[in-house]
Amino acid sequence: MAGWTGLLRLAVADRNGKTVPNRVYFEGALKVMRPIYHQASGQVCYYLLNPGGGYIDGDRYRMEITAEKQARLTLTTQSATKVYRTPRHHVYQEAEFHLKEGSYLEYLPDPLIAYQQARFMQKTVVRMDRTSTLFYSDILTPGWSPENRDFSYEQLRLITEIYVDDELAVYDHIKLQPAHQKMDALGSMEGYTHLGSILAVRGDITQDLVNRLYQEVAEAEVECRIGISRLPIGGFTVRILANQTQVVERIIERCHHFVSKEWFQTKPSFLRKY
Amino acid sequence: MTDHYLPLMQLCDSSFPTGAFSHSYGLETYIQEGLIHDRQSFTQWLTAFLHEQLIYTDGLASRIAFNALEQNDVEALWALDHKLYVQNLPSETREGAQRMGQRMAKLIQSLYDIPVLTLYADRMQKKQSFGHPALVFSMVGHHLNTSSFAVTLYYLYSTCSSLIQNAVRAIPLGQTDGQKTIQHFHGELQKAAELIQCMDIEDFGIVSPGLEIAQMKHEHVNIRIFMS
Repeated sequence: MAGWTGLLRLAVADRNGKTVPNRVYFEGALKVMRPIYHQASGQVCYYLLNPGGGYIDGDRYRMEITAEKQARLTLTTQSATKVYRTPRHHVYQEAEFHLKEGSYLEYLPDPLIAYQQARFMQKTVVRMDRTSTLFYSDILTPGWSPENRDFSYEQLRLITEIYVDDELAVYDHIKLQPAHQKMDALGSMEGYTHLGSILAVRGDITQDLVNRLYQEVAEAEVECRIGISRLPIGGFTVRILANQTQVVERIIERCHHFVSKEWFQTKPSFLRKY
Repeated sequence: MTDHYLPLMQLCDSSFPTGAFSHSYGLETYIQEGLIHDRQSFTQWLTAFLHEQLIYTDGLASRIAFNALEQNDVEALWALDHKLYVQNLPSETREGAQRMGQRMAKLIQSLYDIPVLTLYADRMQKKQSFGHPALVFSMVGHHLNTSSFAVTLYYLYSTCSSLIQNAVRAIPLGQTDGQKTIQHFHGELQKAAELIQCMDIEDFGIVSPGLEIAQMKHEHVNIRIFMS
């Protein structure tokens, strides 16, 4: 169990208002491109990429990301993460995010596409200082299948744990097993195919902010279902059901823009993908 | 051997004031949207709620708690209380469970003298624990020398029968339809309790997206008769 198909260690730190790499190490089928500065703010943006082009049977990936004091980091992917058929072993991806005092991480990956007979397990652990800020998103989509079935993957399991000052503050566990569930049924995916999630944590998030976000984002949307709720600590979660990646992405973007304006009085840059 | 049946039935009785009649766990959202309007559509929802959410949260928790009580491992109980709270992302259901747990602990303290429950209630008072009905229920069941399986089965029964009565009031359904639904769920509950007995502990806290979204959307339902 020791070997990783891809391993990435990235630490960024603040140098006089600009976030710069402190340590960048990667091996195997996981790497980051050189840092990009979209704005004058000094916030750094890294694009993750999977040179292999997709995840296959038994692949194992690990990311360790650290934002040192006051560092501001955007992490995204260059394209969708594709999980192919896993006849023998599921694909495993684990990520550990460390957010030190006053730091900010926004994690905005492209969708995960799970193809026929794919099994995927993701474990994400965030350890953050109570003065840091997190905006974390995920999009799960089914891949094309020869029989044109909506859900041909075998299993998607995502576990996310967020610790604030070493105390577990959020535990999120999604497990989709289309062969064992009535995916279309009330309470399940309810006729939708795509699932989006956001977890945002910041000490000063109030019920009022959550209500305004709901009014701004959820009430105008059609062809989807959106739930937004306050987390046990300062923070909120958003869950989205839709039938198109663009719809989920648009809602996540609107939430992201809303909080960026609230927190930093800025408008996020467009994340160009090649 | 059957000494515990009546005491447990008292806890499951609809007149036992835990506050369960104020909570719909997202059911009311679907009723307002017109998606649940009769016995059949309600049965679909309750089946999903039981098999896609309740067994992985409260249900599995009742088994883990019973086991911890057998081992006299109180730290495991407090960790479980914490985990039940932080995995419940819709704020109304999270706070609803907490209120029910606290209310139930208080009431049971005036009926029984259970040292571990006294500790638990004390921790709630000091805000060291949140409070959860599944844990309180397990503590009583363990105190009464019932089996882990019976505790889980009775707990699931009490949760589902409260929801059925809430549905009778809110949809509304006829009393006969309500009883037919309870009868239909006898088998479902038995199946669920058996599943929980051999469930992997790793499966703790699994939630189903649709159910969860309805629980979150309930915060914005206009006319509400339930708190969640």
